[in-house]
Amino acid sequence: MWKVYKYTLIDLARNKFVGGWLLLLLAITAGLFQLEDQPVKAMLSLSQVLLALVPLVSCIFAIVYLYDALEFTELLAVQPLHRSKILGGQLLALSTALALGALLGAGLPLLIFFPGGASLTLALACFMLTLVFTAIGALIAIKNREKARGVGLGLVIWFLFVLVYDAVLLWIMFAFSDYPIEPWIVPLAALDPIDLGRIMVLLKVDLAAMMGYSGAIYEKFFGNLRGILVAMAALAAWVAVPSAVAFKAFRKKDF
Amino acid sequence: MRLARPLRPLAALLAVAWATGPLAAKTWTVGPAAPNGKLAAAVASAAPKDTIRVLQGTYAEGTVRINKPLTILGTGMPLIDGRGEGDVLEITASDVTIRGLRITGTKISNINDNAGIKVIAADRVQLTGNQLLRCFFAIHLSKARNPLIEGNTITGDPALPESQRANGVHLWQCTGASIINNTITDHRDGIYFEFVTDSHINGNTSLRNNRYGLHFMFSNRDSYAHNLFQHNGAGVAVMYSKEVDMRHNSFISNRGASAYGILFKEINDVTIDSNRFTDNTTAMLVDGCNRMEAKGNEFRSNGWAVRLFSNATACNFSANTFAGNTFDLATNGNPVYNTFNGNYWDRYQGYDLDRNGTGDVPFRPLSLFAMVNERMPYAVVLSRSLLTSLMDQAERLIPSMTPEGLADDKPLMRPPHGKSHL
Repeated sequence: MWKVYKYTLIDLARNKFVGGWLLLLLAITAGLFQLEDQPVKAMLSLSQVLLALVPLVSCIFAIVYLYDALEFTELLAVQPLHRSKILGGQLLALSTALALGALLGAGLPLLIFFPGGASLTLALACFMLTLVFTAIGALIAIKNREKARGVGLGLVIWFLFVLVYDAVLLWIMFAFSDYPIEPWIVPLAALDPIDLGRIMVLLKVDLAAMMGYSGAIYEKFFGNLRGILVAMAALAAWVAVPSAVAFKAFRKKDF
Repeated sequence: MRLARPLRPLAALLAVAWATGPLAAKTWTVGPAAPNGKLAAAVASAAPKDTIRVLQGTYAEGTVRINKPLTILGTGMPLIDGRGEGDVLEITASDVTIRGLRITGTKISNINDNAGIKVIAADRVQLTGNQLLRCFFAIHLSKARNPLIEGNTITGDPALPESQRANGVHLWQCTGASIINNTITDHRDGIYFEFVTDSHINGNTSLRNNRYGLHFMFSNRDSYAHNLFQHNGAGVAVMYSKEVDMRHNSFISNRGASAYGILFKEINDVTIDSNRFTDNTTAMLVDGCNRMEAKGNEFRSNGWAVRLFSNATACNFSANTFAGNTFDLATNGNPVYNTFNGNYWDRYQGYDLDRNGTGDVPFRPLSLFAMVNERMPYAVVLSRSLLTSLMDQAERLIPSMTPEGLADDKPLMRPPHGKSHL
């Protein structure tokens, strides 16, 4: 597995995309902090951009890369190698490269420009979202034979999580506003990894609003260390479940 | 002091009489070693206008009643202990001055409203530079005219529940009070006014009181300036009053579901100028107010900067700074009889082509998401998501749900006072 990991990582390092991703994130982060005279505002704008962009790029790049590496994968598959080790190495290498890009491109400058818990949380959220959407991308790439279809599906999944799910959630709130649905909102929001990341950041930045009204419930739930651990566990589940399904599909895949 | 020329000989004559005659005020000294050791005994034997000097030490004498105009001065902060019998000092005479005492040991009683220093129907009482420790009420004045309460340090017991706490400075039916440079912590309400008129509250600090930092009702023509209200359970509440003037106060970190930087309820003719609101759950709640001028205030990093109920009329907001708030404005209806003009909004995305310092397109402070959130508070979980940003953008381009008339037509491009003016 580590050999596969090593060679995939070397290949990714040669790939211009990962470097480009790092530079893009660096440019966005530095640019926003230069443009805004209030660092909090820059941090908030940045959190909106990152929480949308990181999942998109991770998902699409994972899909595209795995399609492009299909011949290499097939070559490996004919070797006396356990299939889960092939995918394990590739997935780990992809995650490493993208996570490094996110942490060095956005996380590090964030902590330099705006040191504090909020930046740390945002960096952590970006890191976890990278892992989640790389795993989802891998699952899509393995399940679908056609590249165009895979990329399209990746876009749809991203769109679902970044926008449609929130719209559905808002609709649920409206539709059931006569019922005591408050306790259900947090678990429902936790079903969307992007929302989880956003709420984690929100609780660090918009704490004043979070203390009010039903915000106090969220504050109670996510505000302390236990809450952060719960959120992290939910995100870890978002990595584990798609990965497990992907491994299962990969084992049975007929190339 | 300069006296008018015809009065000078008279003044000189009076001074001589004062120094030599039987009218001369006597100074009594009370100390652990002094023959007349007890404070209560000294008060009993002193004549009106006398001075009692209290030396360093502990005087655990129960309630001391002061029923004649005396000046009581502490040297080295002597401790006056009421031994939990009731009030500690009870003042029923005018022109009493209490300075430099440490006072503790009131009885907790909601029937008698026991206080460290209680003043009943006395005028021109001066309470300065005292320390009040773990009292039930600390300073309690009723029907007092022109009292001065200055430079006192009032500290409650942070371990007590609200039912066993009372107010730091409590005034009922007073007029012409000056409350200056006091520090009040860990009481129920820091400063409480009911039926108090023509008074000045300057430079006080009210911290960690578990209800309101400042609470006043039915108190007209009062002014509040340069006070700090921080970490109070419910912030500051101002109710049923007229002609209130509040300037240069700071309202900081008053957090909780029903905590407000300042809560205005049924207030008429208010000026609220150059105050600072930071890190509050709701910085300012305006409920049923008429003719309020809010200008030059700074709202930063609050959950809700202004919650303006639609029963408010003629409330004008100008030259205020709104920055870093989760919601700049929220309302329960259509507050069109109020105006926003020439404020700085950090959310403003317009342009200033003619370079006159104000934006060329109006700013709508009431976002669609704020309205949604008003109906369903739990929707706050969706704030700063892509969905709500898109909703707000769409609403700003084509307003359909938010009130048409509620806009700042001349939003400032820069904060009126630079980054921070306070």
